[in-house]
Amino acid sequence: MTETTLNYSGFYTEGPRKGILGWLLTTDHKRIGILYLGCIVVMFLIAMVLGLAIRLELIAPGKTIMGPQAYNATFTVHGIIMIFLFIIPSIVAAFGNFLLPIHIGARDVSFPKLNLLSWYCYVAGGLLAIASIFTGGGAPDTGWTFYVPFSTQTTTNVNLAVLGAFILGFSSILTGINFVTTIHRLRAKGMTWGRLPMFVWTLYATAWIQILATPMLGITLVLVFLERIFGAGLFDAARGGDPILYQHLFWIYSHPAVYIMILPGMGVVSEIIPTFARKPLFGYWAMAISSLAIAFAGSLVWAHHMYASGMSDLAVLVFSFLTFIVAIPSAIKVFNWISTLYKGSIELAPPMLFALAFIFQFAIGGLGGLALGAAASDVHLHDTSFVVGHFHYTMFGGAGFAFFAALHFWLPKFTGRMYRHKPAVIAWGLMFVGFNVLYMSMQAVGIQGMPRRYYDYLPEFQALNLVATVGSWILAAGILLMFYNLWQGIRRGRPVGNNPWGGATLEWQIPSPPPLENFGAEDPVVTKGPYDYKGVVADEY
Amino acid sequence: MDQYANPTAQAVDNVLIYIFGFSLLLLLGITVVTIIFVVKYRRSKYPEPTSDNDGNIWLETIWTVLPVMIVMTMFWYGWTNYVGLREVPAGALEIKATARMWSWQFEYPDGRKTSKLYVPVNTPIKVSLHSVDVLHNFFVPAFRIKRDTVPGMENYVWFQAPEEGSYDIFCAEYCGVGHADMITTVEAMSQEAYADWSKPLEPSGDPRGLIVLNEQGCTGCHSLDGSDNIGPSLFELAGQTRKLIRDGQPVEVAIDENYLKIAIREPELEVVAGYDPIMPPYDEGTISAEDLQAVVDYLLGKVVAATTAPDADQLLEENGCLGCHSSDGSEGIAPTFKGIGQRDVTIERDGKELTIKVDAEYLRRALLEPEADMVKGYAPMMPAADYLSPEQIDVIIEHLLKQ
Repeated sequence: MTETTLNYSGFYTEGPRKGILGWLLTTDHKRIGILYLGCIVVMFLIAMVLGLAIRLELIAPGKTIMGPQAYNATFTVHGIIMIFLFIIPSIVAAFGNFLLPIHIGARDVSFPKLNLLSWYCYVAGGLLAIASIFTGGGAPDTGWTFYVPFSTQTTTNVNLAVLGAFILGFSSILTGINFVTTIHRLRAKGMTWGRLPMFVWTLYATAWIQILATPMLGITLVLVFLERIFGAGLFDAARGGDPILYQHLFWIYSHPAVYIMILPGMGVVSEIIPTFARKPLFGYWAMAISSLAIAFAGSLVWAHHMYASGMSDLAVLVFSFLTFIVAIPSAIKVFNWISTLYKGSIELAPPMLFALAFIFQFAIGGLGGLALGAAASDVHLHDTSFVVGHFHYTMFGGAGFAFFAALHFWLPKFTGRMYRHKPAVIAWGLMFVGFNVLYMSMQAVGIQGMPRRYYDYLPEFQALNLVATVGSWILAAGILLMFYNLWQGIRRGRPVGNNPWGGATLEWQIPSPPPLENFGAEDPVVTKGPYDYKGVVADEY
Repeated sequence: MDQYANPTAQAVDNVLIYIFGFSLLLLLGITVVTIIFVVKYRRSKYPEPTSDNDGNIWLETIWTVLPVMIVMTMFWYGWTNYVGLREVPAGALEIKATARMWSWQFEYPDGRKTSKLYVPVNTPIKVSLHSVDVLHNFFVPAFRIKRDTVPGMENYVWFQAPEEGSYDIFCAEYCGVGHADMITTVEAMSQEAYADWSKPLEPSGDPRGLIVLNEQGCTGCHSLDGSDNIGPSLFELAGQTRKLIRDGQPVEVAIDENYLKIAIREPELEVVAGYDPIMPPYDEGTISAEDLQAVVDYLLGKVVAATTAPDADQLLEENGCLGCHSSDGSEGIAPTFKGIGQRDVTIERDGKELTIKVDAEYLRRALLEPEADMVKGYAPMMPAADYLSPEQIDVIIEHLLKQ
């Protein structure tokens, strides 16, 4: 390591406290964003290893590297970490915290101390979730959905995992409250609602879901707790309870939660595409309103996870109808992104490649969702590998790739240093190929009829499972190369100026990395929209 | 094959093809247009954008309204075909399926129980779905049907098997450590074969030997009435002789107990002249020594009077016990039955460990209150067997103690 590493300026050196306490007790939104980012990347890598182990077990029928109990624990912990500790907080907590105040011309969020508390909730919940793997009756084996009655009967350490998820929920709620308040109260002079970057609009829509839906998760998990500890009987048909009630309660949160995961990703893509096409985002208001529409309609479709559960056919009719409604705003977004490219000046820099991969993969995920939303076809596809593939197309190919796009877009802003582009493009290529080989095979084997959560399977499913596992290796190689390249960039990349990409939003007008309180002595005054690239020149690096 | 022979699969496939077809077209369109734009408007060719267009109300209206109309057709088509999955044709044969960790049991109108689902072809079958413990899911990919089994609630599916054969049944709702092994089959038979199969058993029951012959499929090749078939008939064997080929030489032997046992256990040793040596051997694992004796006794006309007591092996099979407890000593989710009558077990009672000898009292408690004394090293997940009658429990205990 050379002398020049880590001599970051800006908010890294400023602040009331020095050293580790300067980070652990910070109320600076940028430092909290960085704290989140570090934790989230670590969580992602842990859960990725578990995912690779799942794929390795499935390379051939029968027991390959682990037996059924270990397999069940592995996919459960993979799911819990990826969903509650990676994808839900990923863009919102890391990039949202860092960028939201800068995007609206503010010096911090409305409640900086609450912001730090939400990070501690995240850490506490994460530690409990990880402790549940190693303590009690063994790692939880319920799947991330904790379906009763199995979850109330199993002797594995579900209690601790549930407690962890409960506390993580508070982290999410506090962030949501902070963001809604900040967007309403702290916009700079001239920052009208019509000049908000689309990323802020999506964070705004997301924050409302976090505030309104997450308490449902808390309540549901408390009920599971009561059921396990005191045998409350709420979900036990023999005592007048109803196991299907649990599924309603769980999905009333967990379906909107997938929009917590995807909406900020859509925001990221809506920033990157105009920047690298040097053209205003097509249909600004349609994009803003469709974000709110997704948040609203997405809260009304939870029971489309339950067509096969035994709920009434009338409910199937209603929820299938509502599910197709929520497809519309997503389709509008895709069309508008593509129209933004029309007659632009397009540069295929790494963030742009990840954003384009997002559109392709999210489109596949969304279109696959149509077959799951239609009542008849869902009967065949439900609870097969198709659902797992579909979910990964939207959440990993969508939200995950948006997270990687955001890393490549904003890390130079966060650190003032640029990674190398060539390895970034190679990593992107590996990831794109590996991803589609992996999850397209999973979708195909699901259409063939392979149920999900099987550690062992019949011989007719072997070929596609083998292909999927090979895909997982290509994908993992790409991810490792990507992180290695980004890490090298952070440590010893070439310094960049304020605006390496030629962006028009406010963060590109302040130094990289930004100073404490972002904007120097005078508050910024906004006079133009977020995608007005006239006269904006990218800095050489 | 008749177009409507597999009506439930037809209904689902209609919708799948419609939606996947449309999706593929749309995806292709999106991808091609994106690639064209990215290539055509690349920065090396256009250093600055050639338009600053940021919206078009007409375009945006079109691509809002058009998708609404398309997805509404998908919704409606999906729904109307779903209705076809829910409306059971009149006169469907009703079979009750019970799921438990981790096996299936099917109960027919006459009270007969099996672990595979036997049905006639081209007949609508309504399967009512029940669970005794946690959620499971009855999934038959070939018929595109799937429905949860929920404790305390009755669900149903219906299907019609298009042709004879085996169709996989999977448990599709995650249910714990045995989830991936909770697989069985639909066995679709011709209507005639099914009528035969479902002939009511005499209350006194067939002799055990005959039951074994039927269960093992012996009668598929060997007639019982003297008519010729793939193998020699088994009609009135006592006192007969057989011409055999032994070591390449023709010999004639009298049919006796010893001969029959060899013919079943090692059929390739002595083949009856004029028949191909194609019969598979039936070892101890397939036909137990007891059953072999019953078969031989039956064939030689020494039929022992059938008992009315329930058959322990059958009870263990029907009630799914063998889903977790192996009978051959292999390690499973739960302790094996092999040798259970002769061993000591270490159990946990009220948080303390103690080692006891397996006796009738212990087994009864293990069946009826499985959580009271847990065998060390196993998770308390067995459901109480309180659905068995006292006689059935007695038979099982007696049987297990003899292991």
